[in-house]
Amino acid sequence: MQTIRRKKLEIIVEAPVLRRVEAILGEAGVRGWTVLPNLEGAGSHGEWRAGDYAPGHEKRLILAIVAADVAEAVMARLATFFADYPGVVCSSDVDVIRGDRF
Amino acid sequence: MIETLQLGLANLLAPAVLFFALGFGAGWFRSDLTVPESAAKTLALVLMLAIGFKGGVEASKAGITTAFASAAGAGLLLSFGIPVLAYVILKAISRLDRTTAAATAAHYGSVSIVTFVAGTEFLRASGVPFGGYMVAVVALMETPAILSALFLAGSGASGRQGLRGDLIREVALNGSVVVLIGSFLIGALTGERGMEKLDVFVGPVFQGVLVLFLLDMGLVASRRLREARSLTPALIAFGLGMPLISCALSIGLGLVLGLAPGDAAVLAILAASASYIAVPAAMRIALPSADPGVYLTLSLAVTFPFNLLLGIPLYTAVTAAIIG
Repeated sequence: MQTIRRKKLEIIVEAPVLRRVEAILGEAGVRGWTVLPNLEGAGSHGEWRAGDYAPGHEKRLILAIVAADVAEAVMARLATFFADYPGVVCSSDVDVIRGDRF
Repeated sequence: MIETLQLGLANLLAPAVLFFALGFGAGWFRSDLTVPESAAKTLALVLMLAIGFKGGVEASKAGITTAFASAAGAGLLLSFGIPVLAYVILKAISRLDRTTAAATAAHYGSVSIVTFVAGTEFLRASGVPFGGYMVAVVALMETPAILSALFLAGSGASGRQGLRGDLIREVALNGSVVVLIGSFLIGALTGERGMEKLDVFVGPVFQGVLVLFLLDMGLVASRRLREARSLTPALIAFGLGMPLISCALSIGLGLVLGLAPGDAAVLAILAASASYIAVPAAMRIALPSADPGVYLTLSLAVTFPFNLLLGIPLYTAVTAAIIG
């Protein structure tokens, strides 16, 4: 089986700014991504739990598989965005099948 | 005075308030009682739908009058103005940074729909009539405070990062406003004929939904208060005192504009209430560096319980004494 090395982007954002981050992905050349709900966790403001009442703080996880140059463009653009908004972005190497799709 | 005390006591013993207290106690003592998030959202939808529809039907009977225009004008003025005053007070009594002070001020200029629901239920039980169009006034008072806060905070992150459109959508098209105004219009269009179809839903079922919703609000408010880390005595004093100042402003404006006593009482309750649904979400877009540990905890866990337990009968009695 043939695999190709690509970058996996994992981005955590708050729900109200999700669309803007998706728009940034599109502008940077990302062709597809998946959004998942984040249930619970902890951060600089302490713990947050499923069912906590915190309108605007609900978090989302965006997963995307991209080519290395696209990952770099996304990271550069999101570095500016996350200067103002809370969020996490990381990139890692992954081996994917059907690599031409990403 | 005796009448005021009786009103206050009647309010404290209303099922809605007692269920709120039950939820608050359960949350405070870490009971595992919860209202599932999706159920809470459904309850909120039913509440918005019922009060919007009922207001629309009542407005269709009375027609759109100059009284509506006066109440709407007063509501807009209060929503724009209260944040400025709240900001000045917060900066004077606390060490809050500019952004958090502005975001907190926005919550106090905007309104709490659940406080409106509890307040109008109290007015109905007390036999104080008011215009059905006050539902539309609620919707009008949600947004101006956010604009005032943006002005007070200076340039927000939303402008820098191309999020103006998202902010406008969050403010103008947030779910509760859409259901509230939509139901109001449907109620106004269908009138009594529509009410015949929905009367069980808008009437008896509504009371059950309200107490369940307030049970959840009690749970949420006490959990928030337990985890409050950023509140100082000065901020708590603000959370209790600002509603009184806003109420006084509202009554003054009601006198100047010649509002009917019932409308003036609703307006005083609205002015004294603080948002904890629409504004916090808008603030995460507009002013993400503001501390929700201050603004959400104050509005939800200090001001809302105060208004529900003591504020509503107090504002009603004071309005009746001055305007009634």
